[in-house]
Amino acid sequence: MTDHRIILLCVIPLVASLVSIALINRRAWSRLVGVLSFTMMLGLAFSLVLKITDAPEEQSVLVSQMGGWTAPFGISIIFDSLSGLLICAAAAVGLGAYIHSFSILDPRTERRYYHPLMQMLMFGVNLSFMTGDLFNLFVAFEIMLMASYALLVIGTSLKQLRQAYKYILLNVLASTIFLMGAGMVYGMFGTLNIADLARIIAEIEADPTRQLPAGFNALAVMFLLVFGLKGAFFPLWFWLPDTYYTIPISIAGLFGGLLTKVGVYTVARLFPLIFSSNGDMMTNSAGQWVGGTSSVIMIILAVAAAFTMFLAVLGAVSQHNVRKILAVHVISQVGYMVFGIAVMSGHALAGCAFYMVQHMVVKCALFLCCGVMEKHAGTDDLDSLGGLLKRDWPLAVLFFIAAMSLVGLPPLSGFFGKMVIIREGFAEDLWILGVIGLVTGALTLLSMLKIWSYGYWNPDKAPTVSQPQAVKSSCRSAYAGIVMLVGFALFLGFGAEAVYKVANRAGEQLENPKTYITAVLGEGAYEQVDVLIAARTVEPEEQVAESIAAPQVSTEETGPEDEQAASELPQDLAKRLIVENPPYTVSIPLGKHGSIIAEQAVSTQGALWPMPWITQTDTGWEVIEE
Amino acid sequence: MTMVLAICVAVTFAVSIYLMLGRELKGVAMGVFLLGHAANLSIIAMSGSPVQTDAQQQTAEHAGVHLTSVDSPEMKDPPILTNQYANEQPLAQMVDPLPQALILTAIVIGFGVMAFLLTLLVVTNRKARTIEVSDLAEEAREA
Repeated sequence: MTDHRIILLCVIPLVASLVSIALINRRAWSRLVGVLSFTMMLGLAFSLVLKITDAPEEQSVLVSQMGGWTAPFGISIIFDSLSGLLICAAAAVGLGAYIHSFSILDPRTERRYYHPLMQMLMFGVNLSFMTGDLFNLFVAFEIMLMASYALLVIGTSLKQLRQAYKYILLNVLASTIFLMGAGMVYGMFGTLNIADLARIIAEIEADPTRQLPAGFNALAVMFLLVFGLKGAFFPLWFWLPDTYYTIPISIAGLFGGLLTKVGVYTVARLFPLIFSSNGDMMTNSAGQWVGGTSSVIMIILAVAAAFTMFLAVLGAVSQHNVRKILAVHVISQVGYMVFGIAVMSGHALAGCAFYMVQHMVVKCALFLCCGVMEKHAGTDDLDSLGGLLKRDWPLAVLFFIAAMSLVGLPPLSGFFGKMVIIREGFAEDLWILGVIGLVTGALTLLSMLKIWSYGYWNPDKAPTVSQPQAVKSSCRSAYAGIVMLVGFALFLGFGAEAVYKVANRAGEQLENPKTYITAVLGEGAYEQVDVLIAARTVEPEEQVAESIAAPQVSTEETGPEDEQAASELPQDLAKRLIVENPPYTVSIPLGKHGSIIAEQAVSTQGALWPMPWITQTDTGWEVIEE
Repeated sequence: MTMVLAICVAVTFAVSIYLMLGRELKGVAMGVFLLGHAANLSIIAMSGSPVQTDAQQQTAEHAGVHLTSVDSPEMKDPPILTNQYANEQPLAQMVDPLPQALILTAIVIGFGVMAFLLTLLVVTNRKARTIEVSDLAEEAREA
């Protein structure tokens, strides 16, 4: 359904960014503009999500074609349940981190275009969540990355500069590969529109005479490399902990919450729709058609998920700085999301979407708590922290809620995400991943308790630089940011059902691309696929019909033995039991062997067939003859 | 033609990766620049041959389209619409314009990244008085 309001989600941060460039020397004004922009994005995204959640299937994907050019040729902006959830979460996280930064950032740093850069980052993030075009995705990534490069070195301390090169070079490399991949996609399929690509792939899958182009798997792996690097999958995570260690903590919170999730989002969007295909047609347990999954991609995703979860959490347990523990945890949690994608069933993808949202919020809240802890103790080294529970119990409560949400203690939000993903893993024969997920959860608890006991429970051994009261009064907006995010996390936990309503729809749409394709390309775009599928499924359906109708032709179908038995029957005994149950009529010959044949008929049909003439006795089946 | 382009892409990639593995950040920045070029070249290489296939030539002859701007008759035209194509099918004789649009965008973005990277180099040089990777790493270890 066309709804041009969605483009406002990109326009708002863009305009806010330009306005706050003009207001660069007026701190209060630029802050106001920033907060307004985040609030507007949050409100708009939330109202749109509410709107599409209750809408019928045809109206559940909002599309805006830029300049009125129709889909595969123009630029499509698409807002479906997955984008909606993530944009809501992104705006909430952005708002929390932004408010938090007011009391953390050095005023001089703030004047170095901090406000415009934040808005530009949000512009890039929102655009990558909403774009319906691979090349546009590349552009959105670049916008987001340029802003993140600049935020990474904001304040230009030497420590930041040193780490920045690693991040920038790796991302430039990834972008180059992405660009080449986009070029290859265009060379192979002649389109860059994601929905159009999904349509072409679906047609190839449904058509037995066509095959995917050579090198399609290689292309998929290229894309996995790119998004894996942005999303910090195993083994491409090494840039993350060092980078997040050096930047101002509010920005680290935003990056930890947002940036990796953009990489995960693109995998969740593109792989079930396009790149995990192996060119075969398959149906899911509900009988809906889904594309066949390439075993190569499946294995890569599953292995990446396992190692990302487990190795990263071991890394987190071994760290001794709050920031590093949290940063390495970002990676470990990404593993759960990749796990959800690797399972690739609708419910698992829904779990993945939910987990992404909750992780963004909770992880950012934890980073922001860490910022206040640093204010208290002047360091984030666990050895010199302590006594925070006594000094600042509200912070302790907030931290505890966020940490337990991350661990996944019911009824907090992490539980519902992990539960669904792990359950789906067990259901889909990926039990190794499920077990690893559970172990990782336990180790997550361990590392969170490490921060808790060293930082909050231990006797106060920090000869602090600042008085608790002074910190509390200087960090008011920091507390506001944390409270907001923790409140959001609590909502995700206690309102999980409502959120899952949206997430389930997102999962369905990812699993079965019909809604998405029809919404973007217009009515009838999917017809060709439907026709091809129908043509392919006619054959098996006939077979099924035959096997159901087997009793109709009675003994002839049930094997030579019975055939012989039936032919031996005297004519007068060969009455027929006629069972009418539309659309099938079954007639069963009765007589000497009648009971045996009736038994077969009953066991074939089971409870589907009410046959009052046949009753089960202790010795077997008895047919009541009229 | 595609082969020549492919070799160009390979050589550019090789040079850029060699530069990026170097010990000096100036070289690394140049490597990043070349990397972008290599990617752009590869898009051109993947966007289809500039030479017409036999079938396309036959279509062209059948449609009675006479090429004007190209030296040899089997090369495709640049993607510029002129009046002579107004009522005919020019697609077979034209190079696909979309990859060029992609490359143009990519060049601009690459330019921005390059500008940022060079600025970063200047700032680093001012702060650390060096842009050697090994020196920066040593300082990191001392700190």
